[in-house]
Amino acid sequence: MSGAGRKLNHVWRIFATGFVFVLFGVGALFISLTVFPLLRLSTRDSDTARRRIQHGMHFTFRAFMETLRVLGILTYRVDGAARLREPGRLIVANHPTLLDVVLLVSQMPEVDCIVKRGLWRNPFLRWPVSWAGYLPNIEGEALIEECSATLRRGHSLLVFPEGSRTVPGKAMHMQRGAAHIALAADTEVLPVTIACDPPTLFKGNPWYRVPARRFHLHVVVGAPVAARQFLRDGDGPSLAARRLTQWMLTQFDTARNLTPDAGAVPAALVGVRSPSVDEAELLKCQ
Amino acid sequence: MSVTGKSREEILDHLRVVLSDLFELKPEQIVPEARLYDDLDLDSIDAVDLFLTLKEITGRKIQPQAFKDVRTVSDVIDAIQKLTSQTAG
Repeated sequence: MSGAGRKLNHVWRIFATGFVFVLFGVGALFISLTVFPLLRLSTRDSDTARRRIQHGMHFTFRAFMETLRVLGILTYRVDGAARLREPGRLIVANHPTLLDVVLLVSQMPEVDCIVKRGLWRNPFLRWPVSWAGYLPNIEGEALIEECSATLRRGHSLLVFPEGSRTVPGKAMHMQRGAAHIALAADTEVLPVTIACDPPTLFKGNPWYRVPARRFHLHVVVGAPVAARQFLRDGDGPSLAARRLTQWMLTQFDTARNLTPDAGAVPAALVGVRSPSVDEAELLKCQ
Repeated sequence: MSVTGKSREEILDHLRVVLSDLFELKPEQIVPEARLYDDLDLDSIDAVDLFLTLKEITGRKIQPQAFKDVRTVSDVIDAIQKLTSQTAG
């Protein structure tokens, strides 16, 4: 690309990014007032409605991701996507960008999420999030109880164990809540690592500071592990939670250390993919 | 195991064993001024764990309120001393 072309592309991506931020806000409002109430009214059974609305979220986010791709803002790729659709697991992911939830839900037709409890005070969004069976981020043990209950009902639950987006350049700080949830529910944990190159939409990075080139999101779905493997005789849940959290960190770090700052990218990103991922499972979205 | 009537130093020694067993901490990390949440990286679930263990050790019925304002290892020692002196007499 020539200098002028690069500049034009940069300006275009700032414009397109601003546009999709507005689109997301307006779209969320519109769908919350139209599609989701209709889905809720489409059945008397609240559990059926919950599933339909989660499917609605999935299709909406899928469409949104495709919009970003078509506009030239990003490319993305998910390795091992089929595993995300197997129900009843705690799905733990690192959290480099603002798009992580959208990207992962775009790959999962049915998944419970933890969302800001403030949304329950939002007159438009409070209903869709409760109809979808999403969980408000209340404090401590009550949240762990709610989350393990939904897993025991056989739902998948998506959690970002860091609690908030990673601050680039700082050590990843993991909360142990996710591990406590998995242990309380006696479920399997599915590790998902997200790499964003070049880094963008991270914590503290304003939307208009778009990266030097179109960014690439690469998701690698690892292999599930039973939480109880981390329990040992005579130990309390505190120790098992520490071991499980440490294991999650190792999974994420592998991907993070391979995430390049800029420049030489694709080769390093390919290396992120765990060798256990079946080639047949590769879902290429580019 | 009883901690009744013991000195602060003895209680601290005891806590070193308990905390390092419970949370895989290094005994040298456990000093009176260490903050439970910030320095020792305990979370609310760990606090419950610690509370239950202390209940066992002291052999007393501890009210959760006794540990409400506990922030440091030193606060834990205070709370244990207070509890054991209250009920020992």
